[in-house]
Amino acid sequence: MTFYLLRRVAILLATLLAASIVVFVVLQVLPGDPAALILGTGAREDTLAALRHQLGLDAPMWLRYARWLGGLLSGDFGTSFTYHVPVAELVRQRVLVSLPLALFAILLSTAIAIPVGVAAAARRGGAADAGLMGVAQIGVALPNFWLGLLLILLFAVRLPWLPASGFPGWDAGLWAGFRALILPALALALPQAAILARVTRAAVIDTLGEDFVRTARAKGLSRPAALWRHAVPNALIPVVTLIGLQFSFLLAGTVIIENVFTLPGLGRLVFQAIAQRDLIVVQDLVVLLAGSVIVVNFLVDLAAAWIDPRLRRAGA
Amino acid sequence: MMLRVEDLTVALPMRGQLVPVLAGVSFTLDRRDSVGLVGESGSGKSMTALAIMGLLPPGARVAGRVMLDGRDLLALPEPDLCGVRGRRIGMVFQEPMTALNPLMSIGAQVAEPLRLHLRLSRAEADARAARMLDRVGLDPARISPHRYPHQLSGGQRQRVVIAAALACGPDLLVADEPTTALDVTVQAQVLALLADLAAETGMGLLLITHDLGVVSQTVANVLVMYAGRVVEQGPTDSVFGGMAHPYTRALFAARPAESGARPVQIPGQVPDPLHRPPGCAFAPRCSRAEPDCGQQAPTLAGGGPHRAACLHPHAAS
Repeated sequence: MTFYLLRRVAILLATLLAASIVVFVVLQVLPGDPAALILGTGAREDTLAALRHQLGLDAPMWLRYARWLGGLLSGDFGTSFTYHVPVAELVRQRVLVSLPLALFAILLSTAIAIPVGVAAAARRGGAADAGLMGVAQIGVALPNFWLGLLLILLFAVRLPWLPASGFPGWDAGLWAGFRALILPALALALPQAAILARVTRAAVIDTLGEDFVRTARAKGLSRPAALWRHAVPNALIPVVTLIGLQFSFLLAGTVIIENVFTLPGLGRLVFQAIAQRDLIVVQDLVVLLAGSVIVVNFLVDLAAAWIDPRLRRAGA
Repeated sequence: MMLRVEDLTVALPMRGQLVPVLAGVSFTLDRRDSVGLVGESGSGKSMTALAIMGLLPPGARVAGRVMLDGRDLLALPEPDLCGVRGRRIGMVFQEPMTALNPLMSIGAQVAEPLRLHLRLSRAEADARAARMLDRVGLDPARISPHRYPHQLSGGQRQRVVIAAALACGPDLLVADEPTTALDVTVQAQVLALLADLAAETGMGLLLITHDLGVVSQTVANVLVMYAGRVVEQGPTDSVFGGMAHPYTRALFAARPAESGARPVQIPGQVPDPLHRPPGCAFAPRCSRAEPDCGQQAPTLAGGGPHRAACLHPHAAS
C-alpha cells in the first residue's frame, strides 16, 4: 500500500508538471500581445518594447516558464492588468465561493442519488423503479439554469425564504453565506443526481446478479443485508468515478449558474478574463483548474483502491 | 427423517408464461446420510437445490413440500428462512472464482454467518473463522484470514466457501457441483474434504454433480434427473449395479472412462423447458423408445428403494 501511494503521488506530480507546460505553451502560441492590449493600438513601438521588458516578455520562453512556475509555487500568481490586483487574491476570493458551492452540490447530489439508485435497483422492473427512473429521466433532461430560475421563482419570489441572487460574502456570517448557496447548489445538484442515480442503479443491478450475493443469501443474510453489505460496495467504483468527474465540473463549469444567481465564482472569473484577454489570469486559472481535476482524479483513485483490494497492487 | 422432499414442483416465468422446470421430485435425507443428484445441464439439479434453500429466482412458483425436521420450508416466512440458511443448511456453489465477495477478507466472509446466527462478538467470530479455515486446510499461519479472494487459487477459494457454509455447524450441506470448476487434482482433494467433514460432523450431504464417478464414490443414494424429473433413484450400489433407465445407461456410457474406452455420446440435447415433448422427455434421444413412450410420461415404478421411470426399462443384470 505504501509503495502504491508513492507511485500514485509520483504520477500525480508528473501529470501536474505536464499540464503546466501544456497550458503555458498553448497560451504563448496563441496570438495576442499583452503589452499591446495594455497600452492600446496607438502605442509607440519603443513604449511597447519597454513594457515588454518590464513584464519580462522579452525573455526566452523557457525562462518565462520557469519564472511563472516559480511564482506559482511560491504563491505569486502575477498581477491582473484588468483588476490591478494580485491574481492570488482574486482567485482566493472566488475559490471561497466556488469550492463551498461545489462541495455542497456534490454532497446533495450524492445524498439523493445513491439511496434512489439503490432503491430502484432493488425493485427493478417494479412500479417504484419505473417511477424513480421516470423522475430521473426528467432530471437528466432539465437544463440546470432553467431549474435555477424555477427555484428562484418558487423559493425566493413566491415564498420569500431564500435570497434570489448574489453572495453577501462569508464576512456577513456563515449562515448568510450558506443561505445564498442553497438554491444554486440545488440547481446544480438535481440534474447531476439524476445521472448519478441512473449509474448507481445500473451498477447495483449488475452486482446483484453476482454469485457472491447469492452466497451471502445462502449464509442467511436477508435481502436488504445482502444488498447493502455485498452488492452496493461492489457497485461503488463507477459511482465514485462519476462523483469525481461531476465535482471537477462543479469547480469551474458552473458559469451559467453563477450568472443566473450572480455569484462571484471561478467560472465567471475565467469567463471575464478570457473576454478581456487578461492572459495572466487565464493562464493561472487554467493551470489551477487542470490541477484540481488531476488532484480530484487522484483522490478518486485512492478511494477506489480503498474500496477494492484488487486495485492496491503496485502495478495497477 | 431430517429432510423430506415431497413432490417438489417448480415453474419459472419465461416469455410471459409459467414453465415447469421441476416436477415431482421426492427423496429423503437423514443425518450421516448422503444423496447425489446427477444429470446433464438443464436437468433440474440446481433448481432442486435452490428450491430447498428458498433462493429461487423472483416469480418462481413452487409446490410440494420441503420438510426439515417437521417444518415445511416452503411455507416458512422469509425471516425464518434466513434463520435456516447458513445455520441449519449450508450451501457450496460451483464457481469459487465468483462465489466470494472480492472486497471482503476471507476471514470476514467466514465470520459473517457466525456473527449473524450465533451473535458472536467480532473477536470470537474471527477466532472461530480462523479455526474453521484451518479445518478446511487453510492454515492461518500460512494463509492469513486477512487475505482477499483474488490472492487465492480456485481450490483455496472453494475451501473458503466450504468453511463459510459450515461455520455454524449446519445439519445439512447442499453442494452444487462443488468440484466442477476446479483442476482435476484439486477436485479429489475437495471431495475428500467434504466427505471427511460430513463424517466428522454427522451432517447430511446433498451433492449435485454431473460426474457419475464422484457420485459412486461419495454418496449412499442417488437420483438421476432428466428434464426436470427423476428418472431413476435408489441406493448407489443398486443403481450402478443394475441401471434400469436407458438415460442412466447412456449417461454412464458418456462419461470419460479411465480405461481408454471411447465415451459414447448421447445424441441430441436436453429439451428446453418451453419445448418438452409429451410422454417421456427422453424418448426422442432413446435407443429403446417405442411408440407408447410418446403417449404418457412414465412415473417411478418398482416396489423397492430402487425405482425407475421408464416403460421399457433394462432388466436388472
